Amino acid sequence: MTIEQKTSILILDDEPIVSKRLKPSLDKNGYEVEAFVRSVDALSRIRERDFDIIITDLKMEGVNGMEFLTEAKRRSPLTEVIVITGFATMETAKQSFSKGVFDFLAKPFKLGEILEVIRKADIKRKEKAAAA
Amino acid sequence: MVSINKYYLPYPLMRDLPAARGNGNRPVTGRSPVKDRSLGTMKKIIAWANRTFQSEPKTAQRVSFATLFGKFQNILALNNRSLELIAGANDKLGGHYVFDQQYIHSFCQELRELVDQLIYNFEGLAPQKYPGIYKVFREINYDIEEDLARRLVISGSDFVMPYARISREHINVVGGKNARLAEMKNVLGLRVPDGFAITARSFQYFMESNELWPKVQAITEDWQHNKLSGEQASAKIMALIRKATVPVDLIKAVQAELEQLRQRRENTTLHLAVRSSAWGEDSEFSFAGQYKSMLNVAEVNLFQAYKDVIASTFSAAAMEYRRHNGFGDQEMSMSVACQAMIDARISGVIYTIAPSSPRQDDLMISAAWGLGEPVVSGQISADQYTISRKKPHKISAVSLVRKEKQLILQPEGGTVMQAVKDSRKSNASLTNEQISQLATTSLEIEQFFRSHMDIEFTIDQQGQLVILQARPLNVAAQNPQQLCDIAAIVKKYPVLMKDKGVIAQKGIGAGKIFVVNSNADLNHFPSGAILVARYASPLYAKVMSKARGIITDVGSATCHMATIAREFRVPTIVNTGNATEVFTTGQDVTIDAEENIVYGGTIDELCFYGLTTERIEETYEYRLLRRILKKIEPLYLVDPTEKNFIPEGCRSFHDIIRFVHEKAVEELINLHYTQQHDPQSLSGKLRWDLPLDMILIDIGGGITASDKDSDIDIARIASIPMRAFVKGLSSPGAWNNEPLSVDMSSFMSSLTKTMPAELTSPKYMGQNLAVISKGYANISLRLGYHFTIIDAYVSDNLNDSYIYFRFAGGVSDLTRRSRRARFLEKILTENDFVVEVHDDLVIARIKQLPTSDIEAKINFLGLLVGFTRQLDILLISDQHINQFVSGFEMLVKKNTNE
Repeated sequence: MTIEQKTSILILDDEPIVSKRLKPSLDKNGYEVEAFVRSVDALSRIRERDFDIIITDLKMEGVNGMEFLTEAKRRSPLTEVIVITGFATMETAKQSFSKGVFDFLAKPFKLGEILEVIRKADIKRKEKAAAA
Repeated sequence: MVSINKYYLPYPLMRDLPAARGNGNRPVTGRSPVKDRSLGTMKKIIAWANRTFQSEPKTAQRVSFATLFGKFQNILALNNRSLELIAGANDKLGGHYVFDQQYIHSFCQELRELVDQLIYNFEGLAPQKYPGIYKVFREINYDIEEDLARRLVISGSDFVMPYARISREHINVVGGKNARLAEMKNVLGLRVPDGFAITARSFQYFMESNELWPKVQAITEDWQHNKLSGEQASAKIMALIRKATVPVDLIKAVQAELEQLRQRRENTTLHLAVRSSAWGEDSEFSFAGQYKSMLNVAEVNLFQAYKDVIASTFSAAAMEYRRHNGFGDQEMSMSVACQAMIDARISGVIYTIAPSSPRQDDLMISAAWGLGEPVVSGQISADQYTISRKKPHKISAVSLVRKEKQLILQPEGGTVMQAVKDSRKSNASLTNEQISQLATTSLEIEQFFRSHMDIEFTIDQQGQLVILQARPLNVAAQNPQQLCDIAAIVKKYPVLMKDKGVIAQKGIGAGKIFVVNSNADLNHFPSGAILVARYASPLYAKVMSKARGIITDVGSATCHMATIAREFRVPTIVNTGNATEVFTTGQDVTIDAEENIVYGGTIDELCFYGLTTERIEETYEYRLLRRILKKIEPLYLVDPTEKNFIPEGCRSFHDIIRFVHEKAVEELINLHYTQQHDPQSLSGKLRWDLPLDMILIDIGGGITASDKDSDIDIARIASIPMRAFVKGLSSPGAWNNEPLSVDMSSFMSSLTKTMPAELTSPKYMGQNLAVISKGYANISLRLGYHFTIIDAYVSDNLNDSYIYFRFAGGVSDLTRRSRRARFLEKILTENDFVVEVHDDLVIARIKQLPTSDIEAKINFLGLLVGFTRQLDILLISDQHINQFVSGFEMLVKKNTNE
């Protein structure tokens, strides 16, 4: 890591175990992480600030993941979104990608897998930012 | 409830199965709706089976062989899918995965559907034969549902269980302390206090029959709403428990067990240690010292002591811990250990890794005179010994203290602190021999539980070592520096095998190689050895607790043995191809089944690294998945010849899967004797030179079609196993007496001279039948008076491939028949079959081989069958056995060379 600012990540999953497992590992890898279990809370947070990367579940009470990520992308097009879901179907995957989602991971996944996806998303984000 | 009678209505056709999976066509009620995801998987499996064996019966009453065979194919597919799913769930506990409750629920759902389908297909294959299997399935499923609903499952267990009957799967009902003590006694053969567990069910029963739960709940709520302090709430609940009555039937059950204990002790006055043995994978570790233990309790005071111990479940600290970590009351339960008191001369504690040891290669023992309680609680000071973990366990540091006091037993019950005699105060508490014994034993315990351990021990007045308790020791996480060191260290050792085969269970172990060639070898398997074998056989379960590693030539990560290895946490690599050639018995190696490398020599640093695993996740999800897998993964039905190999003997989903698999094979073998064949199947008489009538029935791709010919030339056999068998049977010397080399012909002529005429006449050859497909052959032969069955299947999936061989009957007297059985046993065993002999019945099995190996084995069987048809007549003495064995070996060699 250079002296540049840390990449910020928002995690949204209604099962606390997901953030509990992800956050320490992302912290150790030098990311700045905020975790949410309720989509309304995450929604109000992205209205306060932008995140570089968003990791979100799809199927949730209240505002679902698709609505959430649509809003996030609308507010901040440079934000890369990674979808994590236990109900992976071709339909939801297609729909996600049409919304400009960077990648789509089916739960359960390996810690190493998501770290790799995050790393790639971060590279893409930086390239886009440099081009802009 | 499921109506079993309805269940036996004519079974739907194979093509109906996917539709029948919901609550629809299937005449079974009470099922949850199927999710799209698992339906998709099932559809694929069924479609595969349908593609392979497309055939339909005309009516439900008359089911064609092809349909039944299709059910068998479904069973194989479902069997593999289930085992893969279980292995996958087990992987999730490995620490690399992020999984959630949703996953656990869908895993259970999918597996339930698969096992349900498995039983359903099995019912189609063997209608009404094993009605018990569905009941067992429902019972296990019920327990899993209860777990998913966060209810502790202890129903159906006993009030009390003696240590001799406890194994690790009882940990929920007897608690960690009891379960580990019983395992050390029953598996490792170590001396532990004699006694029994008063189970968690007794605790629940006690609480329920005194109607304590609502009161406990009310008090707990007051505490949570800050109306009571933790101390107050705890005191109130404990008082309720102490005042409550132990139910009469619970008292009776305990007294009956006490009587047994008294008889074993040959002693009329029992004094007991009554100790807590909490349930919960982690709470017991976090509660060290919180729960109560009562020592030297007189029999009359047992039930009061019992209440005191279970009351300590509600100590303020324990209640606070549960609240903090989100444990519900329903998740909590207390078992109690009831043990004959040991009159301790010396007691102490062992840490198998010394916390202060800089190089982490020492273990540490604290010891003092008398009972261990004051040592554990730090009331008295103890001698400290630091000892090398490596043999011969050199003592690296000793710190002797002046031991002023000791806790001793009082004759009438209870304990008392007493001054130590002046002459002993400054003496070392342990001798060098004792230290060495403690080091050896504690490392054995560590190896068994595959974790560094915290062990409490006593040396009694007779000088015998008794283990009082053993539990995993939490060691701080390795610093990253160590990883670099390990990388450098292992470079110094030769790599004997790398990236061959598949890791079936991760882990690291070191020991001497022990090559297992036959099942009998297992009886001599040395403790701490590394098992090397050609095949991955579930029979190795026998020695699993002694093995530090397993390496096989053949096998897959989803085979039954791999699952057992996971249960015992034995580092295992399967399907290496040539481990039996690479390794020899007695060789020192270190197996790293994390990186898939086997090193020459013992790498202690690597083993140490393996033992210092990360702290197991304390989250609800990990606990839940572990608990559920305990009802799914363990395999108790190991040996098909055991009496408990019945539906009622199944205790886990894995048992059901194994039982169905084994019995489905058996069923198929017997099938065509009770089954009318579909006249539309391609069938005909085999045209060949042997004086042997053989009818072939094709059920899918086994015979190449021909318009003009009703008989079948050998060239038209497309079935891989059938072709191999025919080739073997028609080999020179196997059946016909073609010219042979000099030594062979002289040998053969000695046979033909005495060959009874009737055996060469086709008239006596009987009906011979083969049901075949491209990958399958079921061959029934009546040669002379012998009756032989060969059932074989080859598939690209190793797990599916098998050969089953059965040889029975015979006209001669029992002695000769048993000689023939011994001849076959010898030959078959030498050729890698697992062989069972019952009088003159010989059953041989071999499984999970690549297609080319299966072909070779069937070819060999063809040769053997031809050779053996006259044997019992000719085996006139025991010496003939070896003569025939070498004769046959010559024949095999001859045919292999050609």
